[in-house]
Amino acid sequence: MHFRWNNPSPLPHLEAKIQQTHSLARLLTKYAEQLLQEYVQHQGDPFGLPGFSPPRLPVADLSDPAPGHAGLPVPERLRLDAAALAALPPLLDVVRRLQGELNPRALRLLRRLEDAARQVRALGAAVEAVLAALGPSRGPRPEPAAAAIAAATASAGVFRAKLLGFRVCGLYLEWVSRPGPAGAGGPA
Amino acid sequence: MVDISLCVKRPSWLVDRKRMRMASNSQWLLLTAVLLYLTNQVNSQKKSTPHDLKCVTNNLKVWDCSWRALFGAGRAASYEVCIEKRSRTCYLLEKNTTIPPLLPGHYEITVHPLYEFGSSKSKFILNEKNISLIPETPEILNLSADFSTSTLHLKWNDKGSVFPHYSNVIWEIKVLHKKNMEIVKLVTYSTTLNGRDTIHHWNWTSDMPLECAIHYVGIRCYIDDPQFSGHKEWSDWSLLKNISLPPDSQTKVFPQDKVILAGSDITVCCVTQEKVLSAQIGSTHCPLIHLDGENVAIRIRNISASASSGTNVVFSVEDNIFGTVVFAGYPPDIPQKLNCETYDLKEIICTWNTGRPTSLEGPRSTSYTLFESFSGKYVRFNGDEVSANENYQLFFQILSNQEIHNFTLNAQNLLGQTESTLLVNITEKVHPRIPTSLKAKDINSTAVILSWHLPGNFTKVKLLCQIEINKTNSEHELRNVTMRGESSNYLTTVDKLNPYTIYTFRIRCSTDPFWKWSKWSNEKQCLTTEAIPSKGPDIWREWSSDGRNLIIYWKPLPINEAYGKILSYNVSYSSDEETKSLSEIPDTQHRAELQLDKNDYIISVVAKNSAGSSPPSKIASMEIPNDDLKIEQALGMGNRILLTWNYDPNMTCDYVIKWCNSSQSGPCLMDWKKVPPNSTETVIESDQFRPGVRYNFSVYGCRNQGYQLLRSVIGYVEELAPAVAPNFTVEDTSADSILVKWEEIPVEELRGFLRGYLFYFEKGERDTSKIMGLEPGRFDTKVKNITDISQKTLRIADLQGRTSYHLVLRAYTGGGMGPERSMFVVTKENSEGLIIAILIPVAVAVIIGVVTSILCYRKREWIKETFYPDIPNPENCKALQFQKSVCEGNSALKTLEMNPCTPNNVEVLETRSVALKIEDTEIISPVAERPEDRSDAEPENHVVVSYCPPVIEEELANPGAEGGGASQVIYIDVQSMYQPQAKPEGELDSDPVGGAGYKPQMHLPVTSTVDDLDADDDLDKTAGYRPQANVNTWNLVSPDSPRSTDSNSEIVSFGSPCSINSRQFLIPPKDEDSPKSSGGGWSFTNFFQNKPND
Repeated sequence: MHFRWNNPSPLPHLEAKIQQTHSLARLLTKYAEQLLQEYVQHQGDPFGLPGFSPPRLPVADLSDPAPGHAGLPVPERLRLDAAALAALPPLLDVVRRLQGELNPRALRLLRRLEDAARQVRALGAAVEAVLAALGPSRGPRPEPAAAAIAAATASAGVFRAKLLGFRVCGLYLEWVSRPGPAGAGGPA
Repeated sequence: MVDISLCVKRPSWLVDRKRMRMASNSQWLLLTAVLLYLTNQVNSQKKSTPHDLKCVTNNLKVWDCSWRALFGAGRAASYEVCIEKRSRTCYLLEKNTTIPPLLPGHYEITVHPLYEFGSSKSKFILNEKNISLIPETPEILNLSADFSTSTLHLKWNDKGSVFPHYSNVIWEIKVLHKKNMEIVKLVTYSTTLNGRDTIHHWNWTSDMPLECAIHYVGIRCYIDDPQFSGHKEWSDWSLLKNISLPPDSQTKVFPQDKVILAGSDITVCCVTQEKVLSAQIGSTHCPLIHLDGENVAIRIRNISASASSGTNVVFSVEDNIFGTVVFAGYPPDIPQKLNCETYDLKEIICTWNTGRPTSLEGPRSTSYTLFESFSGKYVRFNGDEVSANENYQLFFQILSNQEIHNFTLNAQNLLGQTESTLLVNITEKVHPRIPTSLKAKDINSTAVILSWHLPGNFTKVKLLCQIEINKTNSEHELRNVTMRGESSNYLTTVDKLNPYTIYTFRIRCSTDPFWKWSKWSNEKQCLTTEAIPSKGPDIWREWSSDGRNLIIYWKPLPINEAYGKILSYNVSYSSDEETKSLSEIPDTQHRAELQLDKNDYIISVVAKNSAGSSPPSKIASMEIPNDDLKIEQALGMGNRILLTWNYDPNMTCDYVIKWCNSSQSGPCLMDWKKVPPNSTETVIESDQFRPGVRYNFSVYGCRNQGYQLLRSVIGYVEELAPAVAPNFTVEDTSADSILVKWEEIPVEELRGFLRGYLFYFEKGERDTSKIMGLEPGRFDTKVKNITDISQKTLRIADLQGRTSYHLVLRAYTGGGMGPERSMFVVTKENSEGLIIAILIPVAVAVIIGVVTSILCYRKREWIKETFYPDIPNPENCKALQFQKSVCEGNSALKTLEMNPCTPNNVEVLETRSVALKIEDTEIISPVAERPEDRSDAEPENHVVVSYCPPVIEEELANPGAEGGGASQVIYIDVQSMYQPQAKPEGELDSDPVGGAGYKPQMHLPVTSTVDDLDADDDLDKTAGYRPQANVNTWNLVSPDSPRSTDSNSEIVSFGSPCSINSRQFLIPPKDEDSPKSSGGGWSFTNFFQNKPND
């Protein structure tokens, strides 16, 4: 599906930047799928079983990409994307740390988690750049509460940590693949 | 009334103990009897008197006694209680009161109400055995829970201070859970009372997490005082205390992240307000165990070892899941292959193998602690670190002045711990690191100094280092050096090297005592400096072909003798009178030519390098003559050839073997080789040797710098077949011989030692003859092998004149046959022989004719009698005249009528018996046969010879009948009219003589047998004329008779025709029309022939 700008781009390079962002998001979609698949492989059953759908844990600072976001203006949608992409890396870091304790020999999973955090940061920066080109930003973004999440998860037990990782990996995939300016299904 | 039933209420184990005490039992019996008596006494008292005295104790310090009184009850009555045994003691007491414990024995207790009238004293007999010991109800001081381990901690006071002496106490503790208080545990716990209050603890770990359900605990006790002989009873249960759930727990599933031993059982519960739909471990669903409310649990038995991330246990409610992770693993294995060594004597590195994996990773993995007992220090391995394999290592800093280390490696995880120990003297476990910074510096042409860096503190030990010395085209050499340990830098001298040689060094080190070598250092290359050449060049000399110049040859010095780069050569020659030198010859030139006279000179050659000149190599210009010299042959193999010679003690210098290609013109020198003077053989090897090439080898012996030729050898390293065929010509040809001459094959074409020639010849024209060589079957080809290689001619004799011959000649060597060369030669015509060949047969024929004529003339009478006897005229025969008349039709005469139907036939009957036939040399008529003879002969064997001239006369013409008689005589077979049957074949074969027919000419001896074939042969040979031999030729009369078709039949014609009364033969007529007549009959042509059939 192609995203179509409602407004003509104010700068000639904006479209190119958007295209780059979209390409990056599409690439990350593939990576996110691989990460999710790799993640469930190392958590044991029933994580890898078909039909396993745990409840969607609430994650601080990060919500599901709602269908209603599609009706929002592009800048607003980009702000939502940017906020989500800003919240994801610390969460991925938390998952990486938890998995480091749980699966210290799953080097490929750990590397994918590290890469995912880095790639999401890159994508977030790209979205921020597009957003900045569209207009003044709304000010500093609040710090993500990843540390608190990590602490809470650690005390909640390993199963909870596994669920959190599953949730974060799923959110990562949903955000980078959702239709929209920063998503792989996006501009078009 | 005393309650005697107390005595039977005891724990079974206590009863058992009592049973062991036999004395106490007897006391009990006695006590029972006394109490029965007292009971009777008391019952006999009035109801108003005190009765039913009962005493109990809970601390053995006082007895609580009470009794019943009908009227005094309810009043504050006072009693005088007197206890009397040996003395009397009275107390003023209430109704229920305490008394001090009494010593063992019977006491009389008198209870007298003080203020009740009408009542009487009551007397009781009291004994300790009637007393019951009932401890006070224990009180739980504290009940706590460790939810992480599902452990209950119980604490209580034994109140031992109230007991006067030591006693054993048995505590019974019960654990109940759920609201319906199901007992899940009931245990006993033994302690002792020591006179002081003691707090006791008891821990219990629940299979089910304590969070899953509420748990209650109660306790009671039983005091087993060995000095107390009364009844002992359990105390009452204490008040139950319970453990409630943690108040603010968000976790719904218990236990959380539990680490358990693989193969064990575990209970997992879910505390929830919602209805749990299912529970599963991994992918396996489990049955639910319902607890209080909606809480459920599952029981997992024999759990398998978990993966790294643990085993998930999940409870599902309608819209959510709750879970926990169980880590099932193993306690650490004993560390294996623990080894401690040091690289540098500063730090010890201990390595080990973990053994069996624990299946526990991350924070649950095994932690290792390396503890050194002498120093008390330890280092710890962080269990979170992931080793790439199962090998782990820890570093331990060496303390100064400590060599002996006693290490204990402790492995621990949540499931257990193990350890491994190692006692090591670290100075004996030095494994140095790789030496670095290896350098080499030359001292002189044969020694260098090596230096290197070896990190570590080796001052307390000796270093043992190994230097590997590599030289180009040489095997490496190892040298060990021992040195005192230094801090880090070392050097050593390496001597006994060759000058001007490139060496490659590398080094490795260990310590003394040896433990392990370090790795080899990097290589270091070094070139030693030059030295003067160790010896002069290897020289030889040859005179030029014209004999005027002497050419000096020398070989370049090998690098291990040159000791440097050869810059030039100096050549000088000296005689007794003078010494002359040539100018310096550059190193690229290795020959010099001298113009010398015939005097003997000593030529000297010196090689020079930058370090100096070599010792001179000398050789005399003149050769020591040797008159006794033969040329010998030798064969080699491959590219080498073995030469031998006899030991000559006079040869003191050395031996020189010089060789060259024999076909080479000019000075014959290809190369030379010097061998030590004590040698008697050497192998000459050269890549220049080629198969099929002849080389001349000359062995020289050296004596006072002069050389004498000892042996001259021609040889091949490998023989080949000749390359060409020898040229040959025909020198002379005669009618029966050819003289062939051939030439030698040149040495270059011969390609081997000539072993001989092969000469083939056969009849044949050009283009039709082809000699196939010495192939089998070619018998018409004649071969001559000429092994005398000096022979160059060959005469071939016994040939036929005027005949073309094909001649082939080829040479052969040890390498095989060479090609062939052929030629066709026609021998000359032999005229004299032809003449002789014609004349001799003619002369012989003439002589034979003459002799034959003479003989025939002289023997004409005999011949006539023999071959042409006079045949009597039948007309003169009386009998025949008579017969003739008969034949003419006088039927009245019957005398000679043999066959009324066939008159004029003469029948001769004969048996098959040979003896008879031979014996009867006359024609025997059937009438004349004697009866005795007939008995021997079978009648059917009679042979009938019919004589019927008129018949013959009618059927056959007889042109050959010279006699011209009117009658024709012929033999016919007349078969007996009585026996027409043929005899069996076997019988016929056994009687060949039977077919011989009539043999009247000889009187042959009669033999008794007819089977003697030899005798038959003899008969055949000696029977003389036997024209009857083939009787078939005579079967002319009755061609349709059986006899005529079977020549082998025993029924044969008999005899020659003759007159009946005469012995003269009747010559059969010559019948040319009959083919059989020539075979069996006699004719003139048979006179000269041996084989009638020819």
